[in-house]
Amino acid sequence: MTSARPRPTAVNRLGSMRRRVLPALALVALAGCASNAPQDTWDPAGPNAQMIDDLQRPVFAVAGIVGLIVAAAVGWAIFRFRDRGQAIPKQTHGKPVLEITLTIIPALILAVIGVFTVRTVFDLSKTDDTEMVINVTGQQWWWEYDYPVQEEFGITQPIITSGQLVIPVGTKVMLRQTSRDVIHSYWIPRLNGKRDAVPGRVHLNRIEADEPGIYAGQCTEFCGLSHANMRMEAVALSKEDFAAWVAQQLAPYESPADGLAKEGEAVFLNQCVRCHQVNGLERADGSPAIAAPDENVVSGAAPNLSKLMSRNTFAGAMFDLLTPACRRDVWEASPADFGSKYLAGVSEDCLNQTDLRGWLRNAPEMKPMYANPALLAGTGGKYRGMPYLALTESDIEKLVAYLVTLK
Amino acid sequence: MAIIERPSAPATVPAIPSASLGALKRPVTTQHGWRSWLFTVDHKKLGIMYGATALFFFVVGGLEAVLIRLQLALPDGRVLNADLYNQMFTMHATTMVFLFVMPMVSAFANYFIPLQVGARDVAFPRINAFGFWAFLFGGIFLNLAWFLGGAADGGWFMYAPNSGPVFSPSHGVDFWALGLQITGIASLTGAVNLIVTVLNMRAPGMSLMKMPVFTWMATVVQFLLLFAMPVITVALFLLMFQRNFGATFFDVAAGADPLLWQHLFWIFGHPEVYILILPSFGIISEVLPVFSRKPLFGYPFVVFSGAAIGFVGWGVWAHHMFASGLGPVSVAVFSVATMAIAVPTGVKVVNWTMTLWGGKLQFTVAMKFAIALIVLFTVGGLSGVTHAVAPSDTQQTDTYYIVAHFHYVLFGGAIFGIFSGMYYWWPKMFGKLLSERIGNWNFWLMAIGMNLTFGPMHILGLQGQPRRMYIWTEARAGEGFFNLAFWNLVASIGSIILAVGVLFFFINVLVTARRGAQAPLDPWDARSLEWMTSNPPKEHNFDSIPTVGHLDEFFHRKYAEDHQSGEIRKVQGAEEILAEMERNKDAHIHMPSPSYWPIVLALGLPVIAFGLIYSIPVAIVGGLIVVLGCFGWAIEPSTARDEDVDPPAAPSTEVVRHG
Amino acid sequence: MAELVQEHGAQHGSTGISNIKLGMWLFLGSECLLFGGLISTYMLYRGRVGEGPTPMQVFDIPFTSVSSFVLLMSSLTMVLAVSAAAKADDRSTVLWLTVTALLGATFVGGQVYEFTAFYNEGLGFSTSLFASSFYVLTGFHGVHVTVGIIMLFALVAMVRRNRIPGSKSETVEMIGLYWHFVDIVWIVIFTLIYLIPV
Repeated sequence: MTSARPRPTAVNRLGSMRRRVLPALALVALAGCASNAPQDTWDPAGPNAQMIDDLQRPVFAVAGIVGLIVAAAVGWAIFRFRDRGQAIPKQTHGKPVLEITLTIIPALILAVIGVFTVRTVFDLSKTDDTEMVINVTGQQWWWEYDYPVQEEFGITQPIITSGQLVIPVGTKVMLRQTSRDVIHSYWIPRLNGKRDAVPGRVHLNRIEADEPGIYAGQCTEFCGLSHANMRMEAVALSKEDFAAWVAQQLAPYESPADGLAKEGEAVFLNQCVRCHQVNGLERADGSPAIAAPDENVVSGAAPNLSKLMSRNTFAGAMFDLLTPACRRDVWEASPADFGSKYLAGVSEDCLNQTDLRGWLRNAPEMKPMYANPALLAGTGGKYRGMPYLALTESDIEKLVAYLVTLK
Repeated sequence: MAIIERPSAPATVPAIPSASLGALKRPVTTQHGWRSWLFTVDHKKLGIMYGATALFFFVVGGLEAVLIRLQLALPDGRVLNADLYNQMFTMHATTMVFLFVMPMVSAFANYFIPLQVGARDVAFPRINAFGFWAFLFGGIFLNLAWFLGGAADGGWFMYAPNSGPVFSPSHGVDFWALGLQITGIASLTGAVNLIVTVLNMRAPGMSLMKMPVFTWMATVVQFLLLFAMPVITVALFLLMFQRNFGATFFDVAAGADPLLWQHLFWIFGHPEVYILILPSFGIISEVLPVFSRKPLFGYPFVVFSGAAIGFVGWGVWAHHMFASGLGPVSVAVFSVATMAIAVPTGVKVVNWTMTLWGGKLQFTVAMKFAIALIVLFTVGGLSGVTHAVAPSDTQQTDTYYIVAHFHYVLFGGAIFGIFSGMYYWWPKMFGKLLSERIGNWNFWLMAIGMNLTFGPMHILGLQGQPRRMYIWTEARAGEGFFNLAFWNLVASIGSIILAVGVLFFFINVLVTARRGAQAPLDPWDARSLEWMTSNPPKEHNFDSIPTVGHLDEFFHRKYAEDHQSGEIRKVQGAEEILAEMERNKDAHIHMPSPSYWPIVLALGLPVIAFGLIYSIPVAIVGGLIVVLGCFGWAIEPSTARDEDVDPPAAPSTEVVRHG
Repeated sequence: MAELVQEHGAQHGSTGISNIKLGMWLFLGSECLLFGGLISTYMLYRGRVGEGPTPMQVFDIPFTSVSSFVLLMSSLTMVLAVSAAAKADDRSTVLWLTVTALLGATFVGGQVYEFTAFYNEGLGFSTSLFASSFYVLTGFHGVHVTVGIIMLFALVAMVRRNRIPGSKSETVEMIGLYWHFVDIVWIVIFTLIYLIPV
């Protein structure tokens, strides 16, 4: 476990009391302590997850003890009362007093747990002290993050990104969740429990991270073919680094001067911009290039690729934009170094060429998606996911050169 | 005909039609050959057919499970692709729930409820036969989708809108929805039938509080089915109208609310959980006393807690939806209600343990399965308490921790109970004892395999591995003792051991069928009425209907307590009791006659369903078959006259058939 | 549930209610939840009319009131049929069963007319959530009435030819239970759908 931060909630008092009283807890606590399991549910890194953890530890301890008592009682009965040739026992039909006692005790234990549960439910649902709002939209099979204008964080224009949710540490962030197609569920275990993203509804989900770092998550409501590949990463930056990130996202688009990257921009305009927006990108005639994913995709959305190389992942966080070595460098950075390493983005040396090229070559082969034209009759030819684009190797070459400039 | 001989009022004398129509003659009354099974209305034969079909589907669902575990044994598995994996886990759950555990319960309930309450058959024997055929055809229909473009792929919970035509374009979901409608009809008719049997046809003297616990629990389950099935029926109809007739019940663009499905599904789905588990509670409440040589501890508490679970089970459905954004008040209420249901469940565990306490325990295979159920179910129940705590449930739900939880409850609970019942009742059903030696292999491999498969899933889930993912990745596996890679592999190896354990059961069945010796009349020195007849029972169950004076009537006829010493002495054996019943044999026993119509009627249902998917005229043909079936059924008396039998029946020797 | 008619008609068991009647009671209990689910769906969706007409635009309350009254009257005639059957008066039984069935048929005919009128006013089955849930709920009820009518006519034929295998009065009573249930459900539906404004 990382930090058991002193938080004077009632639940925590119950927790710390039991921690002292019940040695068995150590065993249970150990069970949650794998090193480096990025989605460990016993390793809170923020107050919401901490509240849950403070509640669940004593509950697990109680459950464990009750389980041991039952197992011991059954085990003892098996040993003690095995058939050793004894006479047929007296035909007793029960002892109501014992029975009622053994009904009341668990009821009382559950009543105590119930009180703390209800308190925690209401504590967790608190939203009136929210400091920052981010709109989170799920669709098959990626998440879009949309930062509405919030001057106090330097967000003077909306920022739309995907793959990684970037938040400032120590800030109470409200995720306003919805979905564009089926139900998804947003879950960063170290920051909070999960909350479904339901089409036609907005669900609120509060998160807060204590320290800079990357926190892994995974869509947890079955959402079709590539449910397993719908991942998320929450990136917590110090407040200064977050301001730098916002500035980076809002920086104007710079068209590549010339060379391969410029040719790549042309390929992008020709192919990718049908669905993918890059803010500030202009066509040869100087008109803004506006993506129209609603004409091509069932959910009506495709990831906005502005500043793509400021993220570490692509394709719904299924693939890394960083090579494994560079990725490890960022993920395992100390909280102090993390911000600068993350803000450096993806350099040409660190770019995971293999997966990115594979993706451009044939996306549906890399990630199961509904892109087979034969199966799209019911959707009027619209894809669910990214189709096979039949790009030539030289186009891919140019595109990679272009994409790596998107910082 | 009369099931229980009672003086009947003159106003209620059945009016037997003057003659039957030629086309509607009755099937031959015979004890052997395929026709004796196809057209039977005997609750025991139907019970065996339910059981055999359920076990077949158990193998199907088990193979699906093994494929799932093979796919997940290593990271980025390549055994199944995403599409096939999604179909696999959907059909695994659907098969195990609707086509194995539920019909297996029907098997036991059909076979043993009439025997345990001292009746000659169920209240509506032909409806009973219809129920079986509807279940069989529904189960086959569900699985036909595999060969017709792919099975359902939305998970057994089939959440909208992912189940809609856009997101699941194959016919899989159509087959799923209509197949479940057909098996649902089977469940509903079975429920009506068994409840009437229990309420109306108990032997003289058997008050409700003298009924065996299995009958009690199975009856509670029939009430749950009675009220739960219509809710899923509504949901499935809405789904069908959306997919096949252009309605928009779950189409968000048209303004629909996808949570409607979730509420309907779980209002059915949570009682369904108790539908699966309560019969096994009943089974081990029979087995534990027999092999402890003392009565069930606190019989009224076990009965009332079962009934309480049946009631409270209706008020907890939304605990499946803690993450779906219900709002804190609903979450708190359902959280506390869910904790409340742990209390009656805990009562049962206490009573079983106390039944063992002070007994004279004999560790037969049936007993081993029953004792294992106590421990394994307790593990599952306690993990259930941890997600009754709604905030921690938001961490646990939709992870492998939940998978671990409900497999401890359903495999360690429901299925271990079913196996206990098989070993216990096999000699009653087939006259031969299953081999204890092979049974021990069966038990230990299943117990070890079960724990190796589902135990590690607690770790996987708490380490953050979600369910329903066709692959997991090394990048999220972590290192150290609790890494996902190791425990996924352990779970997969466990599933193979488990499969081998189940295989031993089938080996045992084969070996017993070929070489097993005739079972003694009362092999376990049992306590309840179903043992107060031959092995297997005669067609009419009891030569004379017993008058019941006690809970555990059979035991009380065999044993007497010495008032001075308190010593329990055997006063007579099963043979003597049976001989006496034969001496006092009822003069006129009329059993219901076989009928063609149940199977005809049931056959119409999948035809209608096919038609709804592919072509309406076919559905009309199916409808005509149903109408024809109803017509033939309606004008046929339940007990045939001799000249109605086709060809005329030979004069029967023992049982007098009506006419 | 015509199939229930046949089984052990006269059996009075521990509850004092015959098997077929007890079975029908249980079945109707189950039906309550079926209609409960459909009514809940309708209540959830009745305001969601999309581009289509609203309930108040299409409903013809006087007309439906009349057809509802006809259905209610059929319960009365059903009572008369049951009482005639209890007196073993086959002629009256047949008469009142026939009248009941005809009243039921009038109601169903009214429903068909109503559906046609709604359709012509632009309320197709998939026009809106309101439309779908309205047609499914009232359609399910209409199917129930229709099944009841078929059972009544079958009963008439069987009474006349003396082909009821069980007790005649029990059988008529059991069908009567079903018929009253369908009527009561209609009262609930009529109140909730037609009388309570959205």
